[in-house]
Amino acid sequence: MALGTATKSDSDTDLKADRPWVCVVWDDPVNLMTYVTHVFMVLFGYSKEKATELMLRVHVEGRAQVSSGTREEMERDVQRLHEYGLWATLQRDDEY
Amino acid sequence: MSSFGRDENGEISIVISTQESQVLINLTEQLLELLSQGESLAEHQDPLLHLVGISDSDALPEDPVLRRLFPDAYEDSASAGEFRRYTEYGLREKKKAHARIIYEALTSQEEPEEISSSHTPIDKGSFKLIIESSQILDWLSGLNDLRLALAVRLGIGGDKSERESIDTEAIHKKYELMLESDPMKAVYAVYSWIGWLQQSLLEEISPS
Repeated sequence: MALGTATKSDSDTDLKADRPWVCVVWDDPVNLMTYVTHVFMVLFGYSKEKATELMLRVHVEGRAQVSSGTREEMERDVQRLHEYGLWATLQRDDEY
Repeated sequence: MSSFGRDENGEISIVISTQESQVLINLTEQLLELLSQGESLAEHQDPLLHLVGISDSDALPEDPVLRRLFPDAYEDSASAGEFRRYTEYGLREKKKAHARIIYEALTSQEEPEEISSSHTPIDKGSFKLIIESSQILDWLSGLNDLRLALAVRLGIGGDKSERESIDTEAIHKKYELMLESDPMKAVYAVYSWIGWLQQSLLEEISPS
């Protein structure tokens, strides 16, 4: 790789690729509130307080952003949330 | 009605009637069958892709229960399809593993024990099942998948397009008022019971 040859358009592309993605959990009337809190604690290592707050946001507002990061990281989070039966999607941060 | 509890030695267990156990066995069996659906098509798939867990298909599953268990990860259908192609196979395997843990725990206990040295008096027709701590999450998610599957049949919740128009409270009320003779009433009772089971297990692992 050659150094110092990056053009303006290259760095624009890089910036775009770095823009964070977010993982969003949507409300499902089936999933118990205590279960959703527990899954947030286990999968993300969140404290009970933080997990409960996120669960309540899902419940009251219909959805909540539960994590953010690269697209690959968010795909992994969505996959794990689906494994545990939560309804999750990912999207660009600025589209949330 | 059975629920999970904690023994003096800290182990989590449930005393479950063989009848209740049979209900769970039947449901997990059905779920396992559903999760395996389409796998027979695997031989027509690209064997190399199959080996690494990638599917030839990026289509939404036809069965509404499978659609509920494997929702779209992206708003736009092209990205959702691509994600599905790379992840659905692995996710199915994981969900099958959760269901299998419940199924095997219950079926391995089916033979009623002879009058054992157990100090816990157990009603005839019931048995005690100890849940390994490493399997608690499998139990929780396996029970959750059963509830999601039953919810689809009961019309509770739904996918994004249906969600807005569904009045969950009204649906619960409908089933509560339903005549006992209606077969859907029994389905609803099982759905509620599994929720109760799941809740009792959650209470044991995270004391408030």
